[in-house]
Amino acid sequence: MKKVLALALALCMVFSLCACSGSTGSTAAPAEPAAPAEAPVEAAPASMYEVTEPITIIWWHALEDQYSDLVNEVVSGFNASQDLVTVEAQYIGAYKDVNEALVAAHAAGTGLPAVCVANTDYVASYGAGGVFENLDPYIAATGYDVDDFSTGLLTSSQFEGKQVALPFLHSTQVIYYNKTMADENNITVPTKIEDFPAFLEAGAAACNGYGTVVPGWDQWYFETLYLNEGVKIITDENTCDLDSDTAVGVTNMIKGWCNDGLAYLATGTDASATMRQKFYDGETFSVMHTSSLYNNYVSKCDFEVGMAWYPAASTGNMFSEVGGCVLGIPAGNDQATKNAAWLFLQYLCGKEVNMKWAEGTGYLPTRNSVLTTDEGVAFLEEKPAFQCIFDNLNLINPRIQNAAWSELATTWKNYMDVMINQNGVVEDETKDMVVEINEILEDHA
Amino acid sequence: MTDVTAKAAVAEAPAKQKKPLLTQRQKSKFIDFLFVLPALALLAVFTYYPVAKLFQISFTDWNLLKPEWNFVGLKNWKWLFVGSGAKYLWNSLKVTFLYSLGEIFATMVGGMIFALIFKRMTRSFSAMRAILFVPKYVAMSSCAVVFLWILNTDYGVLNYLLKLIGLQPVDWLNQESTALLSVLMTTCWRVFGYGMMIYLSAMMGISPQYYEAASLDGANSRQQFFKITLPLLSPTTLFLLVTTFLSSMKVFQSVDILTQGGPARSTEVFVYLIYRYAMVDFRMDRAATSAVMFFVILLCITVATMKYSNNAVNYDA
Repeated sequence: MKKVLALALALCMVFSLCACSGSTGSTAAPAEPAAPAEAPVEAAPASMYEVTEPITIIWWHALEDQYSDLVNEVVSGFNASQDLVTVEAQYIGAYKDVNEALVAAHAAGTGLPAVCVANTDYVASYGAGGVFENLDPYIAATGYDVDDFSTGLLTSSQFEGKQVALPFLHSTQVIYYNKTMADENNITVPTKIEDFPAFLEAGAAACNGYGTVVPGWDQWYFETLYLNEGVKIITDENTCDLDSDTAVGVTNMIKGWCNDGLAYLATGTDASATMRQKFYDGETFSVMHTSSLYNNYVSKCDFEVGMAWYPAASTGNMFSEVGGCVLGIPAGNDQATKNAAWLFLQYLCGKEVNMKWAEGTGYLPTRNSVLTTDEGVAFLEEKPAFQCIFDNLNLINPRIQNAAWSELATTWKNYMDVMINQNGVVEDETKDMVVEINEILEDHA
Repeated sequence: MTDVTAKAAVAEAPAKQKKPLLTQRQKSKFIDFLFVLPALALLAVFTYYPVAKLFQISFTDWNLLKPEWNFVGLKNWKWLFVGSGAKYLWNSLKVTFLYSLGEIFATMVGGMIFALIFKRMTRSFSAMRAILFVPKYVAMSSCAVVFLWILNTDYGVLNYLLKLIGLQPVDWLNQESTALLSVLMTTCWRVFGYGMMIYLSAMMGISPQYYEAASLDGANSRQQFFKITLPLLSPTTLFLLVTTFLSSMKVFQSVDILTQGGPARSTEVFVYLIYRYAMVDFRMDRAATSAVMFFVILLCITVATMKYSNNAVNYDA
């Protein structure tokens, strides 16, 4: 009897806790976004965003140890130019780690950085959730020139038309290939997808390995193959069309390359490192990867590294998608911190510093105007392989912006692994996948 | 009349005496309670409140990024049991129990075998025991990073050794059939020594008189092991069973570093599933629902184990 009574009391406590909160509520921790985020874009005076007292702010980034000198140089440059603001840069880890730390700090409402990097993947989620401050009032009040950014890059930093971040370090999908071997064997990277199998065969034969490697740890690398064929992934009716004949055709095409031993879908935690090592060792003729790793490939390979644009789809489309990261100001900060952060953000994304990032890393210059400067010309002379990207800058599209994207992407990646690496039947698995994705989309609608 | 009044006065006398609020026994209990109150308060704030909160979140649509949430009734529970979450729930439970069985087997059987092998109390055996035990104190994350390299398909030491003896290399971490086994291999490396040390210390506590008596009765070593050692080690076995079961059900780090739940969710243990819902998908509501479910499962199994073990364990050593 006593036990039953104790159990009943415990249950009462739990239910009363649930009931006390009413039918809707809010978590106590996250601070209310400051007024400027909701203020009319053109209304706020510039003085509202001025730094008036000395302040030290934190910048969370994902630039690894190899870039620490560059980070220190840039941050020191800013600190030296300021009387009131001091910046401390903190390396948090990969984008995934930064995301976890930021989301946890946001939910807790404490320990937020003043400025934070975020993978382009997260812009929609952060925008929808109010994690990042709407920068439109800051831009309007201080007259910051955003028109100089490439359109695709700028759009990638927006959510529902609001500028929730600024373009920082950007890249796009490219094919790296062994140029030395290609020249010796008269192999050229095709411009049309229908010629790609022949290229893979020639490459595989030349290196006695794989023709290419398709990264499967991030759907970003293969989603462009679908988009260029006309697959929308998320339709206007908020459903998934990855089960359309066209999409199934693309999946079967990739699976065909893999089944023929001409390529493999790289999955698993060490997939990226292994793929790169295979390329360095000449075990694969080419790899599909991000342009940001150009410096890395060049420094590790004892042969000339070529860089090429993905071949055009059967529709003639040869778009790519923007990758890399943006910079944002976490909305939970107080206004004084946000003002200092805005100052630092302008500096980090400014024309002068932009070229330093591009030269010191493998990322692209984000500003149109730097391409025509002497520094821009010198950049291309130093890294001629980037010509293929500069020629196609207007073909770099922003990412799909949908709050359900993260869940959708995880589901898609897992099914691709099943279909291609674990011998799943494409048609059957695709059906299950789309049912699941549609449920996710509906849930977020 | 006088007699009656006197009797009434006698009867009222004890009632008029001031009755203490608490008896001596109750007072003593209350003081004891005050001593444990700080610990209880900490438990309430840091353990019971979060559990209750988790339960509450499972009825909301909180997605971790938004400060606002709504009550959605049983939506998350429906999703977990009859929606698309069911598939992943059962898959994770299956993977977690398989992993747990593997770790329990490695700790108990491996530990016992090593305890029997390294039982001798000489200096060289002490050194060997120490070598076997040290991996337990290597951080799981460091250990997993090392195994990531050992198990690498193309550049790993294990496949290199397999090739040396003429065998085909295995894609350890990227095949559904071998990925969980690979995670378990990492675990085994860490737990063999631990199991050995626990069993060894228990074996040292068994009175040698049992063995002398058994020898006099003509029992061979095998019979001594099964009739004396094993039954008298049952409290230790129970301890290992319960602690290993609980810790193995909560495995996360090795999975996160080695496979991230893949390939095709074949190593997606329950805690990793909860982590994925919360930190990758930002679905705190679903993560909370799964976590409550997991809590209930663990609670039931632990209670059942304790109940069963009270009847089955021999404490006579």
